[in-house]
Amino acid sequence: MSLPMLSGEPHVITAGAAVLGEALDAQAVPRTAVDWRPPLSGTEDDLARVLADPRRAAANARAVDRLTSARPLLAGVRPAGEVLDLPPGTFLHAGPPIGWERASGPMRGALIGAVLLEGLAGDAGEAEELLAAGRVRLEPCHHHRAVGPMAGVVSPSMWMFEVRDAEHGGTAYCSLNEGLGRVLRYGAYGSEVIGRLRWMGEVLGPALAAALELTGPLDLRSLIAQALQMGDELHNRNRAATSLLVRELAPALVEAAGGRAAEVLRFAGGNDHFFLNAGMAACKVSADAARDVPGSTLVVAMARNGTDFGVQVSGLGDRWFTGPAGVPDGLYLGAYGPADANPDIGDSTITETAGLGGFAMAAAPAIVRFVGGDVAEAAAATRSMYEITLAEHPAYQIPGLGFRGTPVGVDVTLVARTGLLPTVNTGIAGRVAGTGQVGAGLVSPPASAFTAALTALAREAPIR
Amino acid sequence: MTVGTRPGARRIPARTYATGAASTALRPLLESPRRPARVLAAFPAGVYLEVRAELEPHVIAVVNGDAVRLPNAMVVADPVPRVAVGGEAWVGDGSIELGRLGLRVRRWWDPAPPLGPADPVRLARALPLLAELCDASPRRPGLEGSGAAELLADGCAEASLLRSLTAAEQLIGLGPGLTPSGDDMLAGLLVALRHLGAAAGVERAVWLADWLAAAVTFDARGRTTPISATLLHCAARGEASGEVLAVLRALTGRQPLQPTLGRLLWLGHTSGADLAWGLRIGLAAVLCLADRAGRSISKVGAGGS
Amino acid sequence: MGAERPGTDLVRVRTGIYHDSVSLMRVSRAAAALPGVEVAVVAMATGLNLDIAAELGFELPAAGPTDLLVALRAADGDAAERAAAEVDGLLAALAARAGGATGGEEPPRTVRAAVRAASGAATLALVSVPGPYAFAEAMDAVEAGLSVMVFSDNVPVEQEVLLKRRAAERGVLVMGPDCGTAVVGGTGLGFANVLRPGPVGIVAASGTGAQQVACLLDLAGVGVSHVLGVGGRDLSARVGGLSTLRALESLDADPATELIVLVSKPPDAEVAEAVRQAAGGLATPVVTAFPGRASSHGPDDLTSAAEDVLRALGVKVPEWPSWPAAGPHAPAAGDAARSGPVPDGGANGASAGAVSDGGMADGAAATGRARVLHGIYSGGTLCTEAALVAGTGGFTDYGDDAYTRGRAHPMIDPALRLEALAAVPPGDAVLLDVVLGHGADPDPAGRLAPAVAAAVARGVSVTVALVGSGGDPQGLAAQAGALCAAGADVFASNALAARHAARLTGGAR
Repeated sequence: MSLPMLSGEPHVITAGAAVLGEALDAQAVPRTAVDWRPPLSGTEDDLARVLADPRRAAANARAVDRLTSARPLLAGVRPAGEVLDLPPGTFLHAGPPIGWERASGPMRGALIGAVLLEGLAGDAGEAEELLAAGRVRLEPCHHHRAVGPMAGVVSPSMWMFEVRDAEHGGTAYCSLNEGLGRVLRYGAYGSEVIGRLRWMGEVLGPALAAALELTGPLDLRSLIAQALQMGDELHNRNRAATSLLVRELAPALVEAAGGRAAEVLRFAGGNDHFFLNAGMAACKVSADAARDVPGSTLVVAMARNGTDFGVQVSGLGDRWFTGPAGVPDGLYLGAYGPADANPDIGDSTITETAGLGGFAMAAAPAIVRFVGGDVAEAAAATRSMYEITLAEHPAYQIPGLGFRGTPVGVDVTLVARTGLLPTVNTGIAGRVAGTGQVGAGLVSPPASAFTAALTALAREAPIR
Repeated sequence: MTVGTRPGARRIPARTYATGAASTALRPLLESPRRPARVLAAFPAGVYLEVRAELEPHVIAVVNGDAVRLPNAMVVADPVPRVAVGGEAWVGDGSIELGRLGLRVRRWWDPAPPLGPADPVRLARALPLLAELCDASPRRPGLEGSGAAELLADGCAEASLLRSLTAAEQLIGLGPGLTPSGDDMLAGLLVALRHLGAAAGVERAVWLADWLAAAVTFDARGRTTPISATLLHCAARGEASGEVLAVLRALTGRQPLQPTLGRLLWLGHTSGADLAWGLRIGLAAVLCLADRAGRSISKVGAGGS
Repeated sequence: MGAERPGTDLVRVRTGIYHDSVSLMRVSRAAAALPGVEVAVVAMATGLNLDIAAELGFELPAAGPTDLLVALRAADGDAAERAAAEVDGLLAALAARAGGATGGEEPPRTVRAAVRAASGAATLALVSVPGPYAFAEAMDAVEAGLSVMVFSDNVPVEQEVLLKRRAAERGVLVMGPDCGTAVVGGTGLGFANVLRPGPVGIVAASGTGAQQVACLLDLAGVGVSHVLGVGGRDLSARVGGLSTLRALESLDADPATELIVLVSKPPDAEVAEAVRQAAGGLATPVVTAFPGRASSHGPDDLTSAAEDVLRALGVKVPEWPSWPAAGPHAPAAGDAARSGPVPDGGANGASAGAVSDGGMADGAAATGRARVLHGIYSGGTLCTEAALVAGTGGFTDYGDDAYTRGRAHPMIDPALRLEALAAVPPGDAVLLDVVLGHGADPDPAGRLAPAVAAAVARGVSVTVALVGSGGDPQGLAAQAGALCAAGADVFASNALAARHAARLTGGAR
């Protein structure tokens, strides 16, 4: 057995004492120096256990391969009550499980709105009583193959994008986007909000469904790949993707929806985030393909409910590991300021989970000021995510980084080792129920969610 | 590379010094008493120094990590100092002095590492692959189709000392540039015959290398440029650049051929292609000579594993 | 601690900054040397370092191992502030140097990311992060298909076994943990000497043992192909020689290696047998050097192993260089170094180092007390070897974990050995090792010489085993010259030094 290092030119990777690296420099030995720092405090024993798990390398390779090889197709638009396992009196919400008592303002507002939409109460006060009495069962979207932006509240009469994975056969759902401003997902529940939702159920949903019948399934993987090259990062900027989607659907909409095509197109085309929800379902179906690989340390969900930030890990089934959701740092609309902001909320971090959003920030120079940075910082943010991810996406590429694939597949052990937390782009909801959106920006997940997952992985690792 | 003030230097006033890695071919020169030298040529990636010495190599290449690691090179980690052609330098007593910069060796490498035993059957399979890759490359040797080159190839394959030496005589110094094509071809041939011959246990190939080496080095300094003469002296002893050594290892199956040959072919203007041509006819000659030896001692199975 | 503490304390904790302990030790040393500064602790806020600072009487805020602690005590507030500013500057310089190599882009944070950044060029990794964290970085290298040298100590043995098993699956070699020395194709890693390339491959469970053998071979003109360290525990029953077996196998397959030397402290008996069998199955001859193991001709020593190697290669065994102590009226430093054997004094040692013997007559001999030999070592195997060869006296290995927790290795920081040297009573004898090469103190003789001279002046005889090659950065001859000018007898061979020192004390061998 020969060792390659024994012949040919040396190139040494150095991690640790600078004096040893300098001795190599003096010998004109080329080297790559690691800027090493201690891992997150208290994680070294868990790290050693998890890194020693003999299943880990192969499990992660398999999990991240499934994540990046998924081929999401937009297959249809259907009412939640028909496609999701939603017994009467059950609503879905964003993030890890939460009850009314711990729910934040925007989450409460959205739930009130959904109660009103479903006609379960006559006014907001009544709805609140109903919810406080526990008469509505609350479950995370993620437990039902679904995701929802911001509050992510889904009730049976809402229409959903249906996305199928042509590679692995999964299906995932996400509600339709209502637009910006005073909308249910930001916790607003006024009559304009409920009215819009009704219109979406009566007009938008059926029209889109009929159009998709005509076009057949749309390839979202290729649409996302194109949008990245047109300046979207697919979380806070969806303008290109929305345009591409509307372009695909417009002729069929005209054919299918007849007289209502114009209002549908005006609505979809007038909302730069119309694509976001379809993209989230695409990310969800991809991430779900990577679930349940024993020994894998890959993150398959990151989600917030406005109170807690939670992660799920491939090797740990459906368990959630949570920490307190942080308040985003960003730009505020109008007279709003940080004091008006609710802690981080929404399932839209599924985009970061699948290698988009904050991880693809370098692709979206147009919105870097949103998060208070400049183009160089955006590129640096994306580059730093390669440190904590297992792969570079084969289809989602960033022109500004030489068409390098986006960093994809957060590894819990790499987060603990580097202390680098996933970069998340997000909208900011007002903390008072009924307010709506107050801004957008960047947020850091709590490290404790990742260290808790690491501890669980350590317990699951076989003892040797 | 560390740069600081050298303490206690007596002969020369305080100077800065730098360190790096050197070929062991330079060790006799560096360990002998200090002698004068001059700058023969200066490029961003390297400086050639000619030392007034009978020792070979008498030309030293001071290069950075981007340059070809020649068998007469000292590699420094920092940028190569800017010096003028014709400038003064000193070599010996453990260092190379270039202007106010003193260079000291902190690592030695062997420019002629043994290849280890090589299976003649594997070598025979490598030849058509080598030929195919060379022929497919847009990088052509400088003297392709010249009579002398063909004579050399034929002479080696037949182990004809007369024809080989005649051809070698014609090739020395033939072609333009710092290292004429003819010299590079000879250098490739010399190292291939010596290393592959030794590796495959073909004594006749090493014998041929010895004779060719003696002929080529006899008056090389008078027949070609100083740098090329030094490289011929190195090749005569089996000393070669890292790129050539990598191709030799690849021919014995110790590493993949395509990438290593690719790196060699792209060296210099035609130097890489000329060296590859020499390696190719050297390998062909070793195989021919092994065949002849094999017919007389067919049961020994020389060098196989 | 004293309530009457004079001066001003300044304590700062900086988060998000990390530097390795050796780099920070240099900053501490520079800060302590500033005018008006009495004490300076610049260190990561590990439990141990916090304890040290607390013992020094600093009042400390809450801080953890990922924080950097700056604790300064100065004559007055101004001096403390000036020192703090100076420390900031030094830390900024360290940070700039760390980030400088990658040309603007953020440097990689893990070995895994570095492998990717090197885009296929990397041939091996050198890991020297603190022990509890070394496993992760080393595993990155192994999983990327790279051999790795783990310089770090305090790595749990079960992690060592795991790493080595995984390395076997990936076809790579793990050198270490606690591997201080390796030379791969001439590239010196850790504490390594500048060696000429040549036919001898060394597999070493003992770093300084390998350095001794390699340096003697180099002095005899014989080069080394590779020195593959395996870590001090590799030949224990627990690890079972996993890396030793792999290193033997790969040197056997290495065309440049014609003969293999295996250097280790005496291994576990079962492992030794497995290694013996593996060695017997190789095409390449193997010479073993287990200093401390009894054999038919007395204890194995490294010098006789090097001589065995030379004989096996058909090379004449030279007289090993030595440099006798310069007399009290000897010429000044530079000229005192002359290479050549110290006259062999025979059993009574009468003629070896007349000066030292004379010195001794003033000391212990005069008081009638028995002369005691003090071995003050930095190399573990050298220490063991010297103790066995001398057969007398008390030996301490200051490179042992017990002495290196929270401070640098004695090959880098001689403070503890200087204290020990200063404490040797008049008339006794001292035996020291000085190890040259990459990574070691740039001028060990310069830092030891005053203490050696002071010891000699009070009637202590000093013998030094100087382990180095002619190519080492410190300059073998210059180091020997400085030591013998200070009054020490200097030997290139540790075994010869130990015999000489034993003779001076009337010891056995």
